[in-house]
Amino acid sequence: MSTIEHPVIGIPQSRTERKGSILAYWLSSTDHKIIGHLYLITSFFFFLCAGVMALLMRVQLLGPDQHFVSDQQYNELFTMHGTLMLLLFATPLFVGFANELIPLQIGAPDVAFPRLNLLSYYLFTFGGLILLASFLSPGGSASFGWYAYSPLTSAIYSPGIGADMWIMGLVLSGFGTILGGVNFVTTIFCMRAPGMTMFRMPIFTWNALLTSMLILMAFPVLAAALLVLEIDRRLGAHVFDAASGGAILWQNLFWFFGHPEVYILALPFFGIATEIFPVFSHKPLFGYKTLIAATISIAGLSMTVWAHHMFTTGAVLLPFFSFMTFLIAVPTGVKFFNWVGTMWKGQLTFEPPMLFAVGFLVVFLFGGITGIILASPPLDFAVSDSYFVVAHFHYVLAGTVLFAMFAGFFFWWPKMTGKMLNSRLGKVQFWLMFIGFNMTFLVQHWAGVEGQVRRTANYPDLPGNVTTLNIISSVGSWILALSILVFFWNMYVTWRYGETVTEEDPWGFCSSLEWATSCPPPRHNFYRIPRIRSERPAFEAHYPDIKWGRESQGLEQEIPTLESAVGNRGLEA
Amino acid sequence: MRVARTLGMTVALVLSVLVLTGCANDTFTRLGFPNPITEQGKTVVTLWQGSWIAGLLVGALIWGLILWAVIFHRKRGNRLPPQTRYNMPIEITFTTVPFILIAILFYYTAKDENYIDNISPHPQVIVDVLGFQWSWQFNYPQYHLLNSKGSVTNVGDMWGEGPLPVLEIPTNETVEFNLSSADVVHAFWVPEFLFKRDVIPDHPNHFQITATQTGTFIGHCSELCGLYHSRMLFTVKVVTPQQFQAYMAAEQAEQSSGSTQ
Repeated sequence: MSTIEHPVIGIPQSRTERKGSILAYWLSSTDHKIIGHLYLITSFFFFLCAGVMALLMRVQLLGPDQHFVSDQQYNELFTMHGTLMLLLFATPLFVGFANELIPLQIGAPDVAFPRLNLLSYYLFTFGGLILLASFLSPGGSASFGWYAYSPLTSAIYSPGIGADMWIMGLVLSGFGTILGGVNFVTTIFCMRAPGMTMFRMPIFTWNALLTSMLILMAFPVLAAALLVLEIDRRLGAHVFDAASGGAILWQNLFWFFGHPEVYILALPFFGIATEIFPVFSHKPLFGYKTLIAATISIAGLSMTVWAHHMFTTGAVLLPFFSFMTFLIAVPTGVKFFNWVGTMWKGQLTFEPPMLFAVGFLVVFLFGGITGIILASPPLDFAVSDSYFVVAHFHYVLAGTVLFAMFAGFFFWWPKMTGKMLNSRLGKVQFWLMFIGFNMTFLVQHWAGVEGQVRRTANYPDLPGNVTTLNIISSVGSWILALSILVFFWNMYVTWRYGETVTEEDPWGFCSSLEWATSCPPPRHNFYRIPRIRSERPAFEAHYPDIKWGRESQGLEQEIPTLESAVGNRGLEA
Repeated sequence: MRVARTLGMTVALVLSVLVLTGCANDTFTRLGFPNPITEQGKTVVTLWQGSWIAGLLVGALIWGLILWAVIFHRKRGNRLPPQTRYNMPIEITFTTVPFILIAILFYYTAKDENYIDNISPHPQVIVDVLGFQWSWQFNYPQYHLLNSKGSVTNVGDMWGEGPLPVLEIPTNETVEFNLSSADVVHAFWVPEFLFKRDVIPDHPNHFQITATQTGTFIGHCSELCGLYHSRMLFTVKVVTPQQFQAYMAAEQAEQSSGSTQ
């Protein structure tokens, strides 16, 4: 081993001399880690754009009849907020995490198709830029909402070129996502290291696999529907004309994509939280296979429930879609109990990753409860299309994606950059975010139940307390925004003064394979791979004397220290 | 365990408050819902309350477990906790119990949904609702005009432009709404009905209600329908059957004379 020099970190030395050449290297790299960085940075940029749009809307809603933005601008803002958050932030954020982690977690040198990977990134980025540029078009951006119900999207009701840019931008970035899905499925099926059987894969990789499969089933439907819509608009076809039943057809096609999309956004972030709980509970994951079974059921069920978005259309079989939706509660409940079971009787420490992961549990649970309420058609009739639904899906989606994303950033930052984010700033950020998030979205449930319609720039007819609720919500959104600024400060502080990580596993209790290589890993990830005999190869390599599972019954063992870890210093040791 | 006892007492107290006030009818016990003004709306409130109690009980259990672990299972020494991987009896329990819960919820859902969506073949009043960008037209096909083929119709403007369209219906009579759209998808929502239904072009929708209380309310378009979606409001006037007949007679007379001019 001594013949190998100190691991080269990421970029070959000769390339780092000029700053421009780093940029050129990144933008032409086929290294999955670099592409992962690109995805994370770009999707975070879109997150900031969409967040600013949300803040503008919250200013407009401070009073029942404000004129901060015009009705047209408001419609553009919520359309682009939804589109950016779902399709240009959360979805590529998954691709980013998957790029960073999958090859490391299964012991592969890269993804299966590295060049296709970079092409996917470019498709996503340019698709996204086309969408953003639509704000500059005459007539403004698309303003028909992110699910673009026909016939409002037709050339008659939305004549502007902004709508065409919205459609074609999404087609382009959608192809990027589909190719990403192809890449990950192939990588996971074909490139696992010797010994890495399916049932030894980390939960994140499992969830990424199921997410990629959902992408392959859902995104082509969206791409096709969008292209047909564009043909309707510009080439004179009549597929989505109301006269030929196009209004309902679009809704079926869109939600056949749209509901799996919700799980495309949720599953990988469940995976991130699942990776974190055991580490900071000092226990192995409770019910590894049960969790996988639950995730498979959720992925399967998610393909069968799309029409619960259409309960109020009077065009769907209510009992079927209601029952299938209720059924999702069962595997989701199983997940909750497995997460709690992992923490149960553990030795819990609350570094930022764990704080954010627990925050995710708390808020997602409430989103789950309101989800059960909405699965019941009589109740859905009452609250659908109101702020109750807005609150519900922000608890489910924003709660999951935001909290789990930051959990993941804090957890894998040392693996991605070689430095630890500041823990104290992380805690400040968590509490600001937790308070801001709940302030923003909890009160929206009541506003909706009292009659506030979603996607409205004003609400002049509603009782006065709805205005109060909206003011609370807007103030909450500023606290939420502040918490993001704290994260930027943290990145800066870490970049300038952060401690460099020398261990393979700086947290001291990690299980999966990415923690059995240096921080950050070398160009092709591993100089050596430990023997893989369970779902915890890195843990077994670092702490060979610690027994777990059945073998540990009745044993008195101590929590291992970083110093006691075998080979945690990588090749130096 | 003093903490456990305090927690138990709090849960018991909250529950008893909920149960004891369950019969009262106010915004608090309706968990925010407006006072329902239809027979169908009352069913929705009961289902809403029941679902929330079930949901919050499950939620309280899981939040309780999370909080418990966070408080009582924080790191308190260097002993490695039991390294449990599986516990089949517990896992089977928490997989099967939710099935029972959703079966109960589904039973009540299906029952109420059949009741709410029930269409009587002989409604007493029929209202044809036409949604368009960005207002409404309410037409009463049973009330013909004297000297033309038309029937009593009420149209209005969008909010801020002129008087809102008025939808007038009687109490204690079955009213059928036939929904159609002239352009894009709208949705007909009166919060006090605790009900909404989409208004879709070339896809007629129907529903029936029986109002129980008189009063004036505001209805909304709840599906995004373009630029002035937020202003597409209407006024709902629920009156007694006698007042309704008088109103219709007056409208018939006025609109008939208007159509001859």
